Amino acid sequence: MATAQYSSAPTVKKGVQPLRAGQGTSFIWRKLHSLLGIIPIGAFLLEHLLSNFEALKGPVAYGQQVRFLNSLPLVRVLEWVFIFLPILYHGLYGLYIWFRGKSNIVYYPWAGNWMYTAQRYTGLIAILYIGQHVLRQRFMGISLPENPGAAFAKVQHELANPWMLAVYIIAMIAICWHFAYGIWLFAAKWGITPGERARKRFGYVCTAIGIGLAIMGLASIWAFVGPTYRNAPDIVPLSSIAAPAVAGTHAG
Amino acid sequence: MAAPKIIVVGGGLAGLAAVIKIAEAGGSVDLFSIVPVKRSHSVCAQGGINAAKNLKGEGDSTDKHFDDTVYGGDFLANQTPVKAMCEAAPGIIDLLDRMGVPFNRTPEGLLDFRRFGGTLYHRTAFAGATTGQQLLYALDEQVRRFEAEGKVKKYEGWEFLSAIIDSKGQARGITAMDLRTMELRAFPAGAVILATGGIGAIFGKSTNSVVCTGSAQSAVFQQGAYYANGEFIQVHPTAIPGEDKLRLMSESARGEGGRVWVPRKPGDNRPPRQIPEAERLYFLEEWYPKYGNLVPRDIATRAIHKVVYENGLGIDGQPMVYLDLTHMDRATLDRKLGGILEIYEKFVGVDPHEEPMKIFPGMHYTMGGLWVDFNLMTNIPGLFGAGECEYQYHGANRLGANSLVSCIFDGFRSGPNALEFARSSSAPEGDGGAAAELARQSEINAKLIKNEGGENPFRLWRELGSTMTEHATVLRYNKGLQKADEKIISLLDRYKRVNLSDRSQWANTSFAFARQLKNMLELSRTVVLGAMLRDESRGAHYKPDFPDRNDEKFLKTTKATFTGDVAGPRLEFEDVDIQYIKPRPRRYDAAK
Amino acid sequence: MATKTVQLEIKRQASPDAASDWERFEVEWRPGLNVTSALMDIALNPVTADGRPTTPVTYDSNCLEEICGSCAMRINGKARMACSTLIENIEQPVRIEPLSKFPLVRDLQVDRSVLFENLKAVKAWVPIDGTYDLGPGPRVFPQEQEVSYPLSNCISCTCCMEVCPQFTEETGFVGAATIAQVRLFNNHPTGSVLKEERLRALAGDGGIQECGFAQNCVEVCPKQLPLTNAISDVSRDVLIQKAKDCLRG
Repeated sequence: MATAQYSSAPTVKKGVQPLRAGQGTSFIWRKLHSLLGIIPIGAFLLEHLLSNFEALKGPVAYGQQVRFLNSLPLVRVLEWVFIFLPILYHGLYGLYIWFRGKSNIVYYPWAGNWMYTAQRYTGLIAILYIGQHVLRQRFMGISLPENPGAAFAKVQHELANPWMLAVYIIAMIAICWHFAYGIWLFAAKWGITPGERARKRFGYVCTAIGIGLAIMGLASIWAFVGPTYRNAPDIVPLSSIAAPAVAGTHAG
Repeated sequence: MAAPKIIVVGGGLAGLAAVIKIAEAGGSVDLFSIVPVKRSHSVCAQGGINAAKNLKGEGDSTDKHFDDTVYGGDFLANQTPVKAMCEAAPGIIDLLDRMGVPFNRTPEGLLDFRRFGGTLYHRTAFAGATTGQQLLYALDEQVRRFEAEGKVKKYEGWEFLSAIIDSKGQARGITAMDLRTMELRAFPAGAVILATGGIGAIFGKSTNSVVCTGSAQSAVFQQGAYYANGEFIQVHPTAIPGEDKLRLMSESARGEGGRVWVPRKPGDNRPPRQIPEAERLYFLEEWYPKYGNLVPRDIATRAIHKVVYENGLGIDGQPMVYLDLTHMDRATLDRKLGGILEIYEKFVGVDPHEEPMKIFPGMHYTMGGLWVDFNLMTNIPGLFGAGECEYQYHGANRLGANSLVSCIFDGFRSGPNALEFARSSSAPEGDGGAAAELARQSEINAKLIKNEGGENPFRLWRELGSTMTEHATVLRYNKGLQKADEKIISLLDRYKRVNLSDRSQWANTSFAFARQLKNMLELSRTVVLGAMLRDESRGAHYKPDFPDRNDEKFLKTTKATFTGDVAGPRLEFEDVDIQYIKPRPRRYDAAK
Repeated sequence: MATKTVQLEIKRQASPDAASDWERFEVEWRPGLNVTSALMDIALNPVTADGRPTTPVTYDSNCLEEICGSCAMRINGKARMACSTLIENIEQPVRIEPLSKFPLVRDLQVDRSVLFENLKAVKAWVPIDGTYDLGPGPRVFPQEQEVSYPLSNCISCTCCMEVCPQFTEETGFVGAATIAQVRLFNNHPTGSVLKEERLRALAGDGGIQECGFAQNCVEVCPKQLPLTNAISDVSRDVLIQKAKDCLRG
């Protein structure tokens, strides 16, 4: 084919690549991330907040709740398979999602876009918080599975530090927000609320859930720092009605 | 033998339809378009597409469609192709329906039809008020399918420059320019189909898109192709006057019940809705009781001109009249006309549900075009014309909603014809003239990029546009046409001193435009001189000094041949094929 | 009488490899002036506000009535169609930049062909047997037409992709426009024959899972396509398809 002139033309860069139709595995990883956020992580969050709520009844009730949880069969396996690993995956993959996106609320300060960005920051807060929380409350200091009676005081000591208290309050709100919007996103992205109105209505439901959970969470925090149970003993004796002791639940 | 290669230039309805037929028949196609084909001007068509499917129990038939079209075109169209088109139209609608065009439907799930100008039947299938867009997309999708299968190669962002014509006068391919790299290249082919649309840009502001310059037609006209009926330009009665263009307000607005009126009292500047019914002049309904607001476009356009300029009844003394939909139900309007009402609101800032629209006629469609035989081949063997860029169906005035059907019909015929031609044609001698043509184009480019002078190409274009609009649209006087021709000659002279403020060789739009401008100037003379020669009034061509149709002298196709001479193209007349319907007077104020 | 003028600041870049800079222009104000008219004014007199001769601005435009989808650009930071942007409705000086997510060609012109590639990848067409006369198409009730028609109004302007925080080189996200077309063709009686293939395509890398539901697409769409609804619906269909495929092995 005959051509003429201008061989040293500039080249246009490649830009965003087209869809890799049907190829790759990102679909399954992304959907797993999404699903884990609801089950088991969301479910665990609910459980955790409900358990915390026991703190309002005092150190003994709280300790009994801790002992009950640790009495579940295969609890150490459950803890890793349904709590630690899912949270780790959800958190790390979430960061990966964040870094591949490009927030633009400066130019498009619209509600959905704010939520999109907020979901990323609250997620970050959650990861950092959960990291230290698990480390300090589960793996450092007195071991609660063996000493459930020490649960209340351990938390109380932690929250006695006003900085730590602030961290807990901020994290509590951020996590409840993240979860509530996460449910909304899940419904939208899994096609459960495909209509504008459905999403709007479900938005109210999720808002209520988020606020409800946050109030519950903050109330529990209040139980630890408020005047009612000030200076709880380091270990409270738990009634012996509650069934088998901790040691038996060790899986291996 | 390998399948012959066919080149299609233009990716609107006609071009895409041709591509589909060629690919389907096993040919391979190179498709050239200045813009991505999905952005072609066909996308702007609004109201609908005609086919006498008689789904409303009115006794409509393809014969009646044929008669309406010929009568509406004031008997200037060759009747054989028009008849074939009208007969093919129902099948075309069915095909488009199968391709997934979201036509509006009746409750039973059948195609809905509406009324359009120049007919008394519900004959126009429609998809909201964006029918052209929906049709173009349907064809674009089919072409994308063939593209994915490797049967079509698209050259989007390439501009056609010329046909490659061998020593025996046969088209052997094209030269084209990459609008990014400005690279010139010759593309050989067994046959070439031009489907490059209308020439609105010659009129400066029109309802046409930016790419509708007529540059391609003009290029092959200058290479020896005849240009036919150049003087027949449709001015659409209802356009929204605008700063950069005239935006179409579809005839479907009237088809669905829109009424055109002005206050009866000159200078009545009350808000329109405060003017009582009795003080409104529904001039189309009054003057044309049978067709009312749905008279053909040339008639409506002249009526609006008359009411504004002769009767002095334009709104606020401006050249504008009301197109009123406010008496209609909002939900119906949104369902059937949503797209166009939204456009009006966006560009004018007034809600047409609440307040009558202000409209005025604007240049809209090119009835004339490349002369082609009944097989759609120009007088250059191997070069075909399809769609608005050729002249066959619409005579002196096109009926609304006939353009989409004519474009697709043309594409469907030109594709197989071109393939057939290429299959039966012998191989070219040597390169078929490719190198020589490429050298000629390179020289033009080299000269243009270095050209010195003080003329801005965009300014020359503005001047061309205002001259053409003033003298060669609704009313034509020989004196004015003479002036216009002199103006074009002076513009052609000034073009020699055109100066590109951009001399780069990368995505240089003024360079590409300057090349188009030369072609626009050459082609505009066929419009002006054709109009000057035709001392009669026929369809859209109206000379107040010669208000009657003169079949004896002018029931003829005008054929222009490029001479390169300052005297302009040579014009000759050719008889019109009137074997089926005998010409009769065209009147819309009474039964025909 | 002094004429009212409009101040424009336009980001210029002569080629993909060249450096970019801003040029200021002043054009005469008229009622109804849109951004494309202002760009045309500059072409008529390519001189900057401080009197320096320059080149006419390269940009895409065609129909000028917001139906061809050509003239998307960023105006005062936001992606929108230049033809339907009336100067009187926006802040001055008007800052005009090319879309940021697509490879630059020159000035305001970018390469948006990725959308057309994506449409190919999801087979966005109705696979008809042939173009010969086979009678009318399938019956479609008005209720179904009213679902399809808005989706079919997409003008391929790519604004939805430009504003999407997930449409990046890292994700290679397909974008809302293509997903809406999948919804459209899956909804068509004949088009649905390719439904499974389309859904599987959309589960590929860069597929529908990358959507972060920021909903900017639906906010910015000049044709008001129900993009988020389409994403939600198609997401569910993709998921069900993947689950079926998984169970069927």
